[in-house]
Amino acid sequence: MRPSLGFDPRTTAASRPSLLFSLGAWGLDALFGLGALARTLWVAVASLTAPGRAARAVAFRVMLAQLYFTGYEAILVVSAVALFLGATIIVQIQLLAPAIGGELLGQILVTVVLREVAPLGTAFLVAGRSGTAIATELGGMKADQEVLALASIGIDPPRYLVLPRITAVIVATLALMAYFIVVGIAGGYSVGWLVAAPSFDALRAGVARSLVWSDVPLYLVKGIGLGLIIGWFCCHFGLSVQTSPTEVPPKASRGVMLTLLFCVIYNAIVTTLFYAIVGSPVPV
Amino acid sequence: MDEGLSVRDLTFRYGDVHIADDESFDVPRGGTLVVTGGNGVGKSTLLYLCAGLVAPHSGVVTLNGHVPVVDRPSHLVRKGVRIGFLFQQGGLVSNLNVLANVKLGLRYHADLFNLTDKAIDERAKEALDRVRIADSELYAMPAHLSFGTRKRAALARAIALQPNFVFLDDPDAGLDTMTAKIVGDILFGLRDDPEVTSVVCTNHRALIEAIGCSTKELCAGSLLAQTYRRVE
Repeated sequence: MRPSLGFDPRTTAASRPSLLFSLGAWGLDALFGLGALARTLWVAVASLTAPGRAARAVAFRVMLAQLYFTGYEAILVVSAVALFLGATIIVQIQLLAPAIGGELLGQILVTVVLREVAPLGTAFLVAGRSGTAIATELGGMKADQEVLALASIGIDPPRYLVLPRITAVIVATLALMAYFIVVGIAGGYSVGWLVAAPSFDALRAGVARSLVWSDVPLYLVKGIGLGLIIGWFCCHFGLSVQTSPTEVPPKASRGVMLTLLFCVIYNAIVTTLFYAIVGSPVPV
Repeated sequence: MDEGLSVRDLTFRYGDVHIADDESFDVPRGGTLVVTGGNGVGKSTLLYLCAGLVAPHSGVVTLNGHVPVVDRPSHLVRKGVRIGFLFQQGGLVSNLNVLANVKLGLRYHADLFNLTDKAIDERAKEALDRVRIADSELYAMPAHLSFGTRKRAALARAIALQPNFVFLDDPDAGLDTMTAKIVGDILFGLRDDPEVTSVVCTNHRALIEAIGCSTKELCAGSLLAQTYRRVE
C-alpha cells in the first residue's frame, strides 16, 4: 500500500537522539564555548606584546573613549543607585530592629555596602549599560564586515577592539566601585542620622571600626575580577556574531546574562574566601 | 613561488557548501586573477582566504612568501605586505567619519611607514581625491552617505596604504556609470602596476573583458580556468 505521508513517523521518532547523545553534544558545545572564551582573552592579552608604538597609541585612544563612556558617563546613574541603596539598607535595618545601636548600624553599613552591594551593584550597572553596548557594537561591526575590514588594513582586532575595552571596563569598574562605596555610605549615613540622630557618633564609630586594611585587597580583587568578567565576556559574545545582524540581539543578551551570572558567582567565591581568611564580618 | 600570492591545497567549507576543495593556484607578483562564479558559491570567502582574513580548514596561503596570522594581521604589514581590500558593502568603520576611516590604517602603522600627522592627513586626502570624494563629505559618517560614496571611500582606504596586494569584491556592483568608471580607472591602474598583485571577484562580463586577465570560475569548491579576450 502506498503511504499517505512522505515519511514514516515511527522512524522519525526512533531516530531522535538519546539522552546520552544529547548530554554529550551539550558537553562538547560547552567545552568548545569555554575554549573560544579563553582564546578571546588569551589573544587580547598576547597582543600586549605586539610591536608598534603608533598602534599602541591608537589602541590607547580607543581605551580612553571607552573609559569616558563606561566611567564618566555612568556617574549620574551610579550616584542615584548608590545613594538610594545605602539609604534603603539603613531604613530596612531600622524597621526590622529599631533597637539596634548606631555603632552596629555603621558596621552593617560597611559590611553590606562596601563589601557586597557596591561591587555587585557597580558590576550590574556597568554590565547593563556598557556590557550591552560593547556586545552590540562589536556584534554589529562583525556582521557589517567592519572587523574584517580592520584586519584587511593590518589592524589587529584583539589589540584595537578587545584589549582597550577590557582595560577600560576594569579601570571604570574600580573607579565606580570606589565612588559607589562613598555615595552609598554617605546615603546610609544621612538617613542613619535622620532615623538614629542620637547615636550619630556611634554610627560614625561603627563605620570607622568596621573598615579594615584587608578591605583594600578585597576591593581590588573584586573590582578587577568583575571588570574583567564584564569586558571579556561582552567582547567575546559580540565578536561571536558571524554574518547576520539578526544574531546580534540574542548573542548580546546571552553575553550580558552570562556576565551577570558569573559576576554573582565570582563575588560569592571571593566573599567566602575573604571571610575564611579574615574571620567574622563584624569585629567584636 | 615566493613573490605574489600562492595558494596550496586550500580547503574551506561552510557546512555542506564547499568553498575550496584542496585548491592550489598562484598569482605572480604584478599579476591579476579574476574569479567569477554564481551567487553563493563562495567568491567573497575565497577572497577572504586569499587575503588571510579567514583561516582555512587546511592548506596554506602565502603573500610574498609570508603566511598570514588571522589574529595578528599587522604581522604581514611588518613583513612588507600591504593589503588593500574592497568589500562588497564597503566595510567602513561606522563610528568613524570618512577621513578618519581612511586615516585609521595610516595612523596605526605610522611608525612603520615613518608618517607624521601632516603626512597622514595629506595621504588620506590624496586617496580620497583620487576617488572623487568631495571635501564636504570628508567628515560625514558612513551611515549618512550613499552606497556609491561609501564604496569609493572604502576604495580610498584600500589604496591609501599603497598596497602591494589588492583584493576587490564585486568592485562595480550597485554603482552608477560615473562611480563605476572612477573605480574602474583605479582598478586598471592597479592591474598595470608591476608591484601590485590583484584578485578581483566579479560576474560583470564587461568588467572581466576590460580587465582582460586570467579568469577562473569558482564552482563547487573548484577553480576552473576560463579565457576572456582583453578589450582595449
